[in-house]
Order: sequence, then structure tokens, then C-alpha cells
Amino acid sequence: MSSLSLPSPQQTIKPLATLNPPSTARTWHTAPHPYLPLAATSSSDKTVRIYSLLDFRLHSSVSGGHKRSIRTSAWKPGTKSAGESVLATGSFDASAGIWRRWDGGVKGMKEEQDFTGGFAGGGDDGLEGDGDGDDEDEEWRFAVVLDGHESEIKSVAWSAGGQYLATCSRDKSVWVWEEMEDDNFETVAVMQEHEGDVKCVAWHPTEELLASGSYDDTIRLYKEDLDDWTCVAIMNGHDATVWWVEFESEKVVGLENQEEVDGTDDMKEQRKIWLERRENAGARLISCSDDLSIRIWRRIPRERPDVPTGQGRMPSILRSNSIEEEWVEEARLPQRHERSVYTVSWSRKTGMVVSTGSDGKVVVYKERWKQSSSSAGPTDDNGDRAMSEGRNASNGHNNTTIAETEWIVVAEMSDAHDVFEVNHVCWAPRWDKGRRSEDEEMIMTTGDDGEVKAWILE
Amino acid sequence: MDPDKDNANPTIINPSDLPTRRRQSDNISSIKRRTDGGTGLFDGLIPAIARSSHAYDPFAAPLPVDSDASSPSSSDFGDDDVLEEIDEQEIYDLIAPISDPEHPLTLGSLAVVNLPDIHIVPPASTASRISTVRVLITPTITHCSLATVIGLGVRVRLEQALPPRFRIDVRIKEGTHSTADQVNKQLGDKERVAAALENGTLMGVIRKMLEGCDNVNE
Repeated sequence: MSSLSLPSPQQTIKPLATLNPPSTARTWHTAPHPYLPLAATSSSDKTVRIYSLLDFRLHSSVSGGHKRSIRTSAWKPGTKSAGESVLATGSFDASAGIWRRWDGGVKGMKEEQDFTGGFAGGGDDGLEGDGDGDDEDEEWRFAVVLDGHESEIKSVAWSAGGQYLATCSRDKSVWVWEEMEDDNFETVAVMQEHEGDVKCVAWHPTEELLASGSYDDTIRLYKEDLDDWTCVAIMNGHDATVWWVEFESEKVVGLENQEEVDGTDDMKEQRKIWLERRENAGARLISCSDDLSIRIWRRIPRERPDVPTGQGRMPSILRSNSIEEEWVEEARLPQRHERSVYTVSWSRKTGMVVSTGSDGKVVVYKERWKQSSSSAGPTDDNGDRAMSEGRNASNGHNNTTIAETEWIVVAEMSDAHDVFEVNHVCWAPRWDKGRRSEDEEMIMTTGDDGEVKAWILE
Repeated sequence: MDPDKDNANPTIINPSDLPTRRRQSDNISSIKRRTDGGTGLFDGLIPAIARSSHAYDPFAAPLPVDSDASSPSSSDFGDDDVLEEIDEQEIYDLIAPISDPEHPLTLGSLAVVNLPDIHIVPPASTASRISTVRVLITPTITHCSLATVIGLGVRVRLEQALPPRFRIDVRIKEGTHSTADQVNKQLGDKERVAAALENGTLMGVIRKMLEGCDNVNE
């Protein structure tokens, strides 16, 4: 019973709020704003509802641009200094939209420079329908429509620096757009690598590396090579549609404070090696699928004969000048879902993972150091734990024992949206009055019932 | 939809041999009422038998008239106390009257849907209220190009008629179609189904298939 000595706090997922008013139609996806207390919810009623996370009420609406369901949206990062929020939307009408809105009207925000020639009225409370005649403030401007895809757009994502926007579609393609000046977006790449609908796209937190998951059951990675974007890796493994992919944070979080658990210097050394290896390989990738599994993928850094640091950018000794990357499955999370897993979200603050899907469950997982890295059986605890394999042979530490991690379930909830399917889950910063610390996070779920709910872990 | 019918000469089952619940049951009556201005007299009979009024079905049996559609106790499927009130026969009665997209015949009479191929899986645990309805469809021929549309029609029909606590899995019966895996994958893909429902052309076909059913246009 070695597991008893490990920190395994069973937590509960507690309801915090239901965003109000909800949509009367299915809601697909919710994107928390990068720096304001806002969240954007995409609905099949062809609108995006922008909710305030201060009071969980409707703040404004984005409508009139799309002819069919809005499937997804993404906030452009790095727009704070310009004082303007930029939202990209992806719709079943095969187009993506770019929307802009001056931040000055947001409740609680200090007015910054006015680039909009007087649109920023200031002083209003940022809620809809306050009737002060300054409606311009509340308006989302449909700035650009990005046409090109032949069928429904499923996902959109901005690169970490905001320079690129990726879109993907049932037409099997992934497009990369680059924002030029004056609302001018240029297509810099069209990648038709997948053999089926592309369900999701996600960018690496620090590199210009793009991931996509597909109906063809694979995950692909792309990057730019001499002005040309190409596929640099394929991850096979899932047995069914890959619904969601997401990278972890730049630095691994969540494991560093687990040192006190045991004492042996040997173990500490092994863990140090694990963390170094993670540092060299860069952010891992997590994926979830119709096959009910959630998997974590890790890059095998390029080895060079002399200097043992790689970042994957070094020329391979086998394939010189190749930019191809090798990614392997590192771990599977404990399987708790009974139907398709639609989304998985990897907290950039705590390193915890939350998943949801067709069964209406919300499950929270945590990574921890495996107590014994050598003699333990493959799985125990009725499969509650999923082991992360060491794969020592292929990572440059051939003769060294590396610590291992394992993923455990820390909280689980059924029927999060009554009997409805839950389409999306994500971690979001907590902004309401009850928050317990500046960087406290909450969980946001988006369901077929049209509701968006906020939850906290206790 | 397709001028060259895949199967110009399908086997048709005599309606009197089709499984149905002759006696009106409260359960059927409580599945959404018609809003098309009907008298309401036969609401409790939807839909397997009620199709006798449908011009396309010359085989339908006469209607029993012992309707008791006003029973108030079963009007809400969302209530926990009626959780087990829907059975396979009722699912069958909901989908059997769907018209084949290329024949003026019902999926029931063509044996595309069959009672033994309908399964209701109760909630996996006491913590869950979600049941699963699994329907296996048997295309009339193994290369039927309309299998996906038929499957979509069945899924749409059940999504509209059943309460949301049911998850609906429509699949091709094993060994009855040459591209069953592809069709199954499409029918199981929520996003594709949602997008299909926003496709006017496709919905036109589906709507026509469901004309013989009650309450499709609510």
C-alpha cells in the first residue's frame, strides 16, 4: 500500500456560478480572455456571448457575422498595450471572422490610450443595454472575414505571439494566416496532410509549432521550413477521432513542489534528470479522443554527439537537415469517460488536467512522482493510475535511471450539465469577489443545454 | 434524391407482420404531442399505426381507437420516476414509420429497422441518469449509397422525440454494408451531425423521410 504515503488529496468540484443568461441553443466552446475578466462562448445560434467573469453576467454579444453555428473562438494574445480586444471566430459557414472591440468599456478596466477616436466613452459599467447612448462602446466590429475553407471550420488558434492564426476544417485542411497591417490577413500556408476532418488546432507555447488532431485518428505537427510550412511529425496511436489537442505550459508545473514526499538523494537525482529531460524536449502535448483515451506525447530531442542539449532544432545525425521531429506517447491518463472525450485542458498554473465529453462527466487529473521507479507492477489500484513509461533507451540517458511520473484522478463529477453532453472544458482565471488568491483558477464547462458553468476545486 | 435506385426491388414485409404495440400506451402518448392542428384523437397512437392515414402506406392496419392520450401522469420524461418507461418497442415505433429516401415505403416495412436490433442500455451507474439507445440498421443492399442518410434520419428522429437523457448511437448492422465503418464513424460524429442539420439540402431529404412521423417540425 505504498500509495497511502503519497499525496493524493481527493478534491471535489464545487459549483460556483452559471453564466446568465444562457443560450437557448447548444453552446460549443468557451474561451477565457487573456487579460480581462471576460469569456467568449460560441453558440449554435450564430452568436458569441461575451460574459463578465466578475459577476457571471452577459457583457456583450458578437453577432451578425456568421450564417451558421459558431463553433469556436480564440482571443488574440498580446493586444493589451493597444487597448483593444481581438476575437477570432470559426463557423460552420466555412468562414472565420476577426472581431475588434475597444477595451475601454469593460467594467473595472482603467482607460488607456484612446486609439479609436472617441469610441471609448469610459465610465459605463460595461453591461449591455445601459442605455447611455454610447452604444458604439458595446459594439463588436466585424473587421475581417477569412474565406478559403470549403466546409465547416472546427477550430481556430492564435500563435503565442499573436502573429499567426491557424484554422482547420472538415475539408481536411489546416490554414495558417498571418496578420499584416490594416486588417489584412495573408494565407501563409494551406496544409492538406490529414485524410479526414481536422477537429482541432493548437500552438506550442514558445515555438512556432502547430498541432492538429483529426477524424483520421492522427495528430500532426507543422512548422515553417524555409518559408514553407510542412508536416514535421505524425502521432499515431488513437483508435478513433482525435477531438482535442493542447500543449502544456512552457515550464512544467505541479511536480516541483512534491519534493518533500521522500528523501533519498538517489530519487532526487532521478527526478532532476526527468525535469532536465522535459526541459530539453519542451512542452508536451495532450490529446483526447473518441476512443475514450487521453494521452500525453513527448518529443524526443535530437541527439548530438557532443553537446547534450537539443531543443529539437539540431540537425539529426541520421537525417541531416531534416526538420522532422520524433514524438512518442509518454502516458495515458486513467480512463474515466464512458463516451467520447471532447476536450481536455492542461492548466498552465497548476499543471492539472481537466477533461469532459459526451458522458457529461468532468474529471480532474494530477501528475505526481511515482514512488518506486523500478519494481512496481504495471498498474494497480484497479487501473486508477496510468504509468508513464520511462523509455530510457531513446532519450540520451541510456544508463541512468530516470524518475517516472504517474497521473491520478483527484476529482470527478457526473452530470455536470444535467443530462446533457458537455462539449468543452477549460481552466480560467477566477475574477469574482470570492476568489481566494490572485492566481486562483476555476473550471468552465460548456454544454449542449446552452449553459456555461464555473466550478472550483475544493 | 437518387434517380437510379440502389435497390429497385426490395423485399417488403407485410405490415401485419411488423412488431408493434397495438394497445395504446401512456408512454407513447407522452412523447411530444402533435402541434399541427390535428384533432388529438389519435395522438396516443403515434406513429406505427397512425401511418394508415399516410398516402404512401397502403398496407397499414386499421387504427385502434382506445386512445387515452390525456393521461397526465406520464407527460414528462424528464422526471426521475419515469426513467424506465421507454422500451425497445417504443423506439421501434418512433423510427419504423420513417420513409426510405428512395422508396415510398417505411424503414419498418423494408426491414431496415428491426425490433431485435434496438437496445436500450440503462445508466452505467446509479450516479448517472444517462441511458443509451443503440439502433442497428440493415441497409436493403450492401452497397446502398443512402445508408448514411437513412442513419441520419433515424438519429434525427430519435434526438427530436426522446428526452435529452438518452444518448443515441445509430450504427450499421455488422456484415450488412460494404462501407459500414465509414458510415458508422460519420453517424457517431456529433459535429458532423450538427453541421448536417444546418445543411438545407440534406435537411430537405430528412424532413421528407420524417413526414410520416409525428411532431417532426416542432
